Amino acid sequence: MSELKVEVAGAAEYPNTTLVRLKGPLSGAEQAELDRVFENIIQGHPPFVVAEMSETTIFTSSALGNFMNYRKKLVERNGDLVFAGLSLDIRSLLNLLGANRIFRMYNDTQTAINAYRWEKEHLRQATHLSFPSDLKFVPAVRQFVSRITKQKNYGSRDSFRIETIVDEVCNNAVEHGNNTAGRNVELTMNIDRERVELQVTNATNPEKVDMLREMSKSVLNSPQPSLEQKRGRGLALIKMLSNDLRIGFSEEGTSVHVTRLRGE
Amino acid sequence: MESQIELENEQLKGVDNAMLVRFVGDLDATNVEFVLEKVCSFLNEGFVHIVADFKKLRYVNSTGLGVLLHFNKSAREKNGSFKIANVNENVYEIIEIIGATSLLEIYDELDEAVESLKRA
Repeated sequence: MSELKVEVAGAAEYPNTTLVRLKGPLSGAEQAELDRVFENIIQGHPPFVVAEMSETTIFTSSALGNFMNYRKKLVERNGDLVFAGLSLDIRSLLNLLGANRIFRMYNDTQTAINAYRWEKEHLRQATHLSFPSDLKFVPAVRQFVSRITKQKNYGSRDSFRIETIVDEVCNNAVEHGNNTAGRNVELTMNIDRERVELQVTNATNPEKVDMLREMSKSVLNSPQPSLEQKRGRGLALIKMLSNDLRIGFSEEGTSVHVTRLRGE
Repeated sequence: MESQIELENEQLKGVDNAMLVRFVGDLDATNVEFVLEKVCSFLNEGFVHIVADFKKLRYVNSTGLGVLLHFNKSAREKNGSFKIANVNENVYEIIEIIGATSLLEIYDELDEAVESLKRA
């Protein structure tokens, strides 16, 4: 009898995915049991399957052949089979066997599910950053955002443009905000496969509100920035690099909302 | 946490009053003062022709671009020139969007920028 223990988690717990926990050795000897489990999944469960293997102790080439077969059937049903939680030793062994060219491997189940939902369900992910109203923090913020877009497979050009937008919006927030109010600059980033939305808010300097409102109006209504104007170049750049730009002024503060569609 | 930028400079041989300045890193609001001070010091010392090599300049924003336009204007006022070479495509796009490609002398290669000085 196989030492392998198999648990199949309910779809309600993991929406649109099926989680299979595999505890013990995958030597190939347990094929009949796995065949039955996967046949059941293929017939009646969501066809995106995460094989959770943090307690898998052995993974032979024979077992790998079985998993390739299960994956083939799941792909035919618009699904996939991915691995999660493998130990470094097993993962290295599988890489030597070329399994990384066929199976996607994730550190944990949640990452695997997020990756699936990102690709198939256009999952939107949010990041919030709060930093003191000081220019010296801006480079780290813009580079952090750029790293997120690259990690989400946005191209280097898109990432550069988004980095520029973040830089210019945050610089404006620091330069024209009320730095004595003790309020941080708040940046919220929402990203999915198709777009990045940025919202930056800061305390308003009451003395600058009218000037800022006029400058915004002038830049937003002008098709091309004027090189003679020293002020407003950053805002003009944001406008040219974004697909939608909205600026709001209130006693609560200034709020800039930028949408940039993925271009590459 | 400020951006890192380094300026490496050497006097250009075969051209009078000319300085080559290599920009390395990111040019932004956190370091424009340093760059402004350094390049203006070359102009004030009589190096009225500045050739800026952007091969290792990864990033520039509107504040950095403002400083480049300032160098261009200052050099011309001293009967000199400000030439830029080896601009990466991302930085070039920023210069282009702001509409500064018509004001700045931009060359694909450093040699071309230096040769243009020798011909002048």
